[in-house]
Amino acid sequence: MSKVILTVDDSASIRMMLKMTLTGAGYQVSEAANGVEGLAKAQEKPAHLVFTDLNMPVMDGLTFIRELRKLPAYRGVPILFLTTESDGEMKRQAKEAGATGWLVKPFQQDQLLSVVKKVLGA
Amino acid sequence: MSELQSTGKPIIDGPIEALTFALQGEVFAIEAGLVREILDLVPVTQVPGARPFVGGIINVRGSIVPLADLRLRFGMEPTRPTIDTRIIVIDVPLDGEACTVGLLADKVFEVTEIAASSIEETPRVGMRWQPEFIRCIGKRRDDFVIIPDIEQLFS
Amino acid sequence: MSAVDPTEIFRQEAEELLEQLEQALLDLEHAEDGRELVDGAFRALHTIKGSGAMFGFEQVAAFTHEFETAFDRVRKEHLAPSRELVAVALAAKDHIRALIEQAETADAAAGDAIIQELRRVTDDGGAEIDEAPAVEPVADQTGTTTWRIRFHLAQDALVTGTKPLLLLDELRSLGTCTVTGLADAVPPLEELEPEALYLGWEAILATSHPREAIDEVFMFVLDDMKLEVERLDAPPAAGPSADPAPAPSPVGEAEAAEPDLSTVPVVVPLAAPEKTRREADAGKTTNSIRVPAERLDQLMDRVGELVIVQARLSQLAASGADTALKSIAEEIERLANELRDTTMNVRMVPIGSLFGRFRRLVHDLSRDLGKQIDLVTSGEETELDKTVVERLADPLVHLIRNSIDHGIEPPSTRLAAGKPMRGQVRLEARHAGTEVLIAITDDGKGLDRDRIRAKAEEQGLLAPGLKLSDNELYQYLFHPGFSTAREVTAVSGRGVGMDVVKRLIEALRGTIDMATTPGRGTTITLRLPLTLAIIDGLLVRIGQDRYIIPLTAVEECVELSAAEDGRSAGRSFLSIRGDLVPFLRLREVLGSNSPPDPHQKVIVVSTGELRVGLVVDQVIGNHQTVIKSLSRLHADVDTFSGATILGDGSVALILDIAQAVELGHAQADRQRAS
Repeated sequence: MSKVILTVDDSASIRMMLKMTLTGAGYQVSEAANGVEGLAKAQEKPAHLVFTDLNMPVMDGLTFIRELRKLPAYRGVPILFLTTESDGEMKRQAKEAGATGWLVKPFQQDQLLSVVKKVLGA
Repeated sequence: MSELQSTGKPIIDGPIEALTFALQGEVFAIEAGLVREILDLVPVTQVPGARPFVGGIINVRGSIVPLADLRLRFGMEPTRPTIDTRIIVIDVPLDGEACTVGLLADKVFEVTEIAASSIEETPRVGMRWQPEFIRCIGKRRDDFVIIPDIEQLFS
Repeated sequence: MSAVDPTEIFRQEAEELLEQLEQALLDLEHAEDGRELVDGAFRALHTIKGSGAMFGFEQVAAFTHEFETAFDRVRKEHLAPSRELVAVALAAKDHIRALIEQAETADAAAGDAIIQELRRVTDDGGAEIDEAPAVEPVADQTGTTTWRIRFHLAQDALVTGTKPLLLLDELRSLGTCTVTGLADAVPPLEELEPEALYLGWEAILATSHPREAIDEVFMFVLDDMKLEVERLDAPPAAGPSADPAPAPSPVGEAEAAEPDLSTVPVVVPLAAPEKTRREADAGKTTNSIRVPAERLDQLMDRVGELVIVQARLSQLAASGADTALKSIAEEIERLANELRDTTMNVRMVPIGSLFGRFRRLVHDLSRDLGKQIDLVTSGEETELDKTVVERLADPLVHLIRNSIDHGIEPPSTRLAAGKPMRGQVRLEARHAGTEVLIAITDDGKGLDRDRIRAKAEEQGLLAPGLKLSDNELYQYLFHPGFSTAREVTAVSGRGVGMDVVKRLIEALRGTIDMATTPGRGTTITLRLPLTLAIIDGLLVRIGQDRYIIPLTAVEECVELSAAEDGRSAGRSFLSIRGDLVPFLRLREVLGSNSPPDPHQKVIVVSTGELRVGLVVDQVIGNHQTVIKSLSRLHADVDTFSGATILGDGSVALILDIAQAVELGHAQADRQRAS
C-alpha cells in the first residue's frame, strides 16, 4: 500500500508539481488549496506526510499546522512547510506551531523526493 | 476531385464525378464532392422576408438548413412536389466558409462520370436558364447536362 | 483525457495573480491605510516568483524578486505609497506579464530601468541585494573520521512528526555506525507522558563525509535538541558506551554505507515576509476546478440536443396510450430540465471579472486626458453566461471611453460649474427577471439635444420640425458615422462608433437605451438575456405556421373578439382594460395568406421602451428550447433571431420583437403613403 501525502498550497502550479513528482515516485497524493480544505482532506483521507504552504488565503499555514496537530490521528505525522527563504523567525514560528521540517522553494524534483525520504523513510 | 473555381468560367479540365438530377425537365449535375446527403421531402418552414429562392428551412438532424429552389433563382415558377421530389444537401462555399444548403430536385438520378470530352462552353443564346448561373454543359448518354455555378447561385 | 501542461497552469495562475496585483495597486492610490493592500501585493509577487522559478521562468523570477525587494521596503517601513510608486509598480507588473507571455521580445533594458525607478521611488540607498549563492555540501575526499554523536531531541519531537529511527538510518547511511539507546532521562512510570520522548541516542560513526553531513541529518531539529558531536581519534572498542540501565532499544549493527545525500534542500537567505492574513476576493470560491471553455460549450450543445429530443419523447408519450411510457417520459423531462438548469449555471460567471479590467482603463485614460475620474462599481456578483460576459467587454470599454472622453468635463470646467472636481463613472449590474441590466452612468455634461438634432437634420436623417421624443432623438446617435464630438480625440476616435456598440449588444439579443440630463450626466442602460443558448418561448400559430415569441418580453395575453377585430380594422390601437395599446397583426407583417381564426389572441409584449400587442391565431403554449442560429443565407432576415426545433421535429422561427415591430411600422407607412 503506497503512502499518502497531503499537499496544501493555494498555488495550483506548485500543487501540480508536487503531485507529478510524488505520484511518479509511487506515492498517493491528496490535495487542498488552503488550510480549511486541508483539514477536511486530512480527515477524509489519512495522510502519512503533509506538505503545506504558509502563505494561503482563508486559513494560513501556521494556523493549519496548529489545527492539524490537534487531531489525534496527526500527532506524529511529519508536516513539512514550503518556504522561499530560510529565515530563522519563520522556521521558528512554524516549528512552534508543530511543523516537522521544511522545503525551500524553488526546489527540484530530487530535492523534494530526498526530503520526503528523510521524514518518511525509504 | 476538381476544385471549385471562384471567379470566371474556366472550363473544367478532366472528367468530373457528379450527382445528376432533374429539375423542370432538365438534367443538372453537381460535383459529388459537394454532396452531403439526399433526403426525402421533409416539412418545410417558410421564412417570411427571406429571398424567395431560399424561402424555407428544414431540420436536418438538429441543424437548421435553408432549402433552396433553383427554379426561383432562375426566375421560374415553382411546382408542386411529387413522390420523386428529393432534397440534396450540399456544402456551398460562401465567403470562404462552407455553408450547408438543401436543393430541391424533382428526381435524383445517379452519381456518374461526365466525360471531359463532352464538356462545352455554355451557349449564349437558346438557353432557358440564365447563363451567368451556369458553369458549363456536359453530356450524359444522350442528354445535355447543365452544370450550375454553385457559388454564383448562392452569392 | 488530454494531458495538462504545467506551464499553462502557471501562466493562468500568474494571470490571475497579476490581476490581483493590479487591483491592489490601483486601490492603494486611494486607500487610507494601505498596509493590507501592500501585503496582498507582496504575497502575489511572492507566489509568482516562487512558481516562476519552479517552471523555468527564470527571468520572471529574477525580475519579480527585485520588484518584491523594493516593495518589501514599502512594507517594512510602512512607506505611504505615492502615485509615482503606484505608476512604476504598474509598469513593473506589465513587464512581468510581458516576460511571461513573450519572453523573447520583452525588453530587458526596460525591465532594468523599471527596477531602478522602483528603487529610487522607495528611496533605496542603491545597494544591490544579491541572493547568497546556494550552499552545497562539499564532499570530503580526505578519508574517514570517526565521530561520537550523542543527542536528545525535544520532548515533543515525536508529536511534531520527527522520527528518531529515520534520523538514525540517515546517520547509518553516512558510513559505518553503531548505535546505543540512552534511557537516562526516562522518568518513573507515574510521571511518564505517553506521547513524550525521553530517550536519547549515542552513535559512533566512521565516515568520509564532512562534519556538515552530520548536521544535515539533524537539519530540522537542530534548534530544539541537545547534540554533542565529538571527534574520536581512534574507533572505540566495539560495544555500547557507558549506560546504566538496560538499553530499552538495542539498535542494530551498522550497515554498509549508502551515500545518498548528494543533493540537499538548498539554503538561500532572503528577506523574510511578514505573516499576514488576507481576505478572500469577492467571487473567489475555495473549491473549484479549471475547465477549458471549449468543454463547457460542448457540454451545453449536448444538453441542448438532449432537451430537444426529450421534448419529442414527451410529445410521443403524450399522444400514445402507454402509461408506463408517459411516466418515464415525465421523469426524463424532470431530469432533463434539472440538467439544463445546472449546466446553464455552470456557464455563469460574475460580471465583476470584467469590472476589474475597467479600473485600469479608467485610471490610465483619466491620467492621459488630465481629468480626475473615479470608477464606482456595484453588482459585481451579478452572474451572466460566460460568452455574454466575454462579448460585453468591447462594447463596455467603448461606452466607458465615451463617457470619460466626451461626457466628463475637465476639472476646471467642473469646478466652474459647481461640480466636484473629481468626476465619476458608475457601473452597475443587476438582475431583473430573466434579464440582466447593466448601467453606465457618468456625472458629466450630458447629451446636447440641440446638437444631436442639428446633426441629424444636417445628415438628412431627420426632417426639420418633425416632433420626436427624447428617446427617439437619442437613437440617432446609433447611426453609423454619427458623432457629435467636436474633436476626435486619440482616445475614443471615430472608428468604433455607437452603431457598432449597438450591433454588438443586439447580437447578444440585448437592447441599449440612453437617458440624459443636460449638465448633470448620462446613463446608458443595457438589457441582456441571461443566456444565449436556451430560450423560454411562447409558441404561437399564425395561419399554418408556428412561431416562438420570447417569453421574457410577454406581459399578458388577451382575446381579440370578432367585434373588436372588426372595429379596430383601419386603426392601430386596441383598448385593453382602458389602456390604449398599439398593435400589429403578425399575419400581415409575416405575409400569411390563410384566413384568420375567428377568435384571435393578442399577446402584449414589451421590450425596452416599446409596448405593443401582437395578434396571432392561437397561443399553443410555453416552450423552452435551445436556440439554433439561422444559416448565413438568411443573415438578411432580421425579423427572426433564430429558430428552434419543436417536439415533432419541425422548425419554428423565433421572433425578434423589436425588428418585427419596425417592419410592421415600415409596412404601415408604405400603406399610408400609397
